[in-house]
Amino acid sequence: MQWNRKDLLELYDLTPEEIELILDTAAEFKKVSQRRVKKVPALRGKTVVNFFVEPSTRTRVSFELAEQRLSADIVNVQASASSLLKGESLLDTIKNIESLQVDLVVMRHSAPGAQAFIARHLNCGVINAGDGAHGHPTQALLDIFTIREKLGRIKGLNVTIVGDILHSRVARSNMWGLLKLGANVTFAGPSTLVPREFEEVGVRVCHNLEEALADADVVNMLRIQHERQTLGFFPSTGEYSRFYGLKEDTLKKMKKDVLVMHPGPINRDVELASSVADGENSVILEQVTNGLAVRMAVLYLVAGCVKK
Amino acid sequence: MQKLLMSATKMPEVIRQIARKIVDAGFPGGYALVGIHEEGVPLSEKIADEIGKMSGCRPPLAKLDISMYRDDIGKTKHLPRIRETDIPFDINDRTLILVDDVLSSGRTIRAALDAINDYGRPALIRLAVLIDRGNPEYPIRADYVGKKIELPPDHRITVRFEGEGDPGVFDELWLDKHPSVKE
Repeated sequence: MQWNRKDLLELYDLTPEEIELILDTAAEFKKVSQRRVKKVPALRGKTVVNFFVEPSTRTRVSFELAEQRLSADIVNVQASASSLLKGESLLDTIKNIESLQVDLVVMRHSAPGAQAFIARHLNCGVINAGDGAHGHPTQALLDIFTIREKLGRIKGLNVTIVGDILHSRVARSNMWGLLKLGANVTFAGPSTLVPREFEEVGVRVCHNLEEALADADVVNMLRIQHERQTLGFFPSTGEYSRFYGLKEDTLKKMKKDVLVMHPGPINRDVELASSVADGENSVILEQVTNGLAVRMAVLYLVAGCVKK
Repeated sequence: MQKLLMSATKMPEVIRQIARKIVDAGFPGGYALVGIHEEGVPLSEKIADEIGKMSGCRPPLAKLDISMYRDDIGKTKHLPRIRETDIPFDINDRTLILVDDVLSSGRTIRAALDAINDYGRPALIRLAVLIDRGNPEYPIRADYVGKKIELPPDHRITVRFEGEGDPGVFDELWLDKHPSVKE
């Protein structure tokens, strides 16, 4: 199994073997961060541009640290301080950046498919750090890595993702990755936020939380965005929390060793009770740790296919 | 297109000779073997077994993958798959013997030295190889050599202990480097 892609755009594109290769590679990169010297020279002499057209803290910091630990040179471009504001097109901005002999572009953009579009026009590698509600492959990879590390496998596991599926790139990327590796995926939440269409690709859709969690090995609680309430997707945050928040009493009815995950940032006591977020079943902070390893692996593999 | 350079029955004898040289070197404070993936790892295990039989004391073993320390990332057609690095002891102030199947350009050993440096500061590092091709591109020499074999640069030496195909040491044409083969 060899990696042949200069871009990582969405898990939908990958074979199960390619996903496994990223996870296996990440396991070795995780050890680098546990050493005395937390750095390897793999990307020495390569330049990576982090181009975030949408705000991000943890993904950007995670990518930046991953790049530093691989010894790459880094440039950060924030949309708010870029010439996009002067009316330059995305492609022109990116083409100008590439002309500075850049090897990789890590991009977040609010438009679905923005990375796929620029990847077609660039010789350098492109990594999707989130495109609208479409995909967030490195987040899904770190979720899947965490599950595999904790439970030893993916195949046959029941994974329930709860919350605003409609607007969630995390849910979509997780769905593709998990289905490819043979997990059973359930989407749960109010019918306004969990469309039935996902059943067509093999996801179980469920509007009752207890039913959705009864046989779950993993539950991934998505952040509920307050602005969705004003748009009428649910009557109130309190009501959402009552029906779809994960609380102690629900957890007690679930499998004893169920993994509780959250991509962050958490709304404490809205989608996730504080005691559950900090409880024994929670692997939320390990997800963050693993995110660094997974991003190192992706940067390394993609860099190996960018020919100069 | 394979030519046998060392048969599977000859290999244990050569490995025994390497082990003997290491035992005779008599490192007073003891030493550990560090096998470099791929074939350096099974080779280090076999050398350790022989040392155990000769001296009654099997040295500790470590595995090292040098992929993250290569100087040709993005220059080769494919990246090698990263294998497990496992150094289950403190290497500071220890004597380490790096073990690899073939010493060719010396670039792998250069990368291995860089990697080792990130884990600590050994007192002494030595190098043991099954085959020395005798055409180093770096000023790197092996201390314990099983056999010296000189071949033209478009030939590659494949060492196999287990897995697909017969075990042994083989001479193959290195297709990427052969002038008659164009990509």
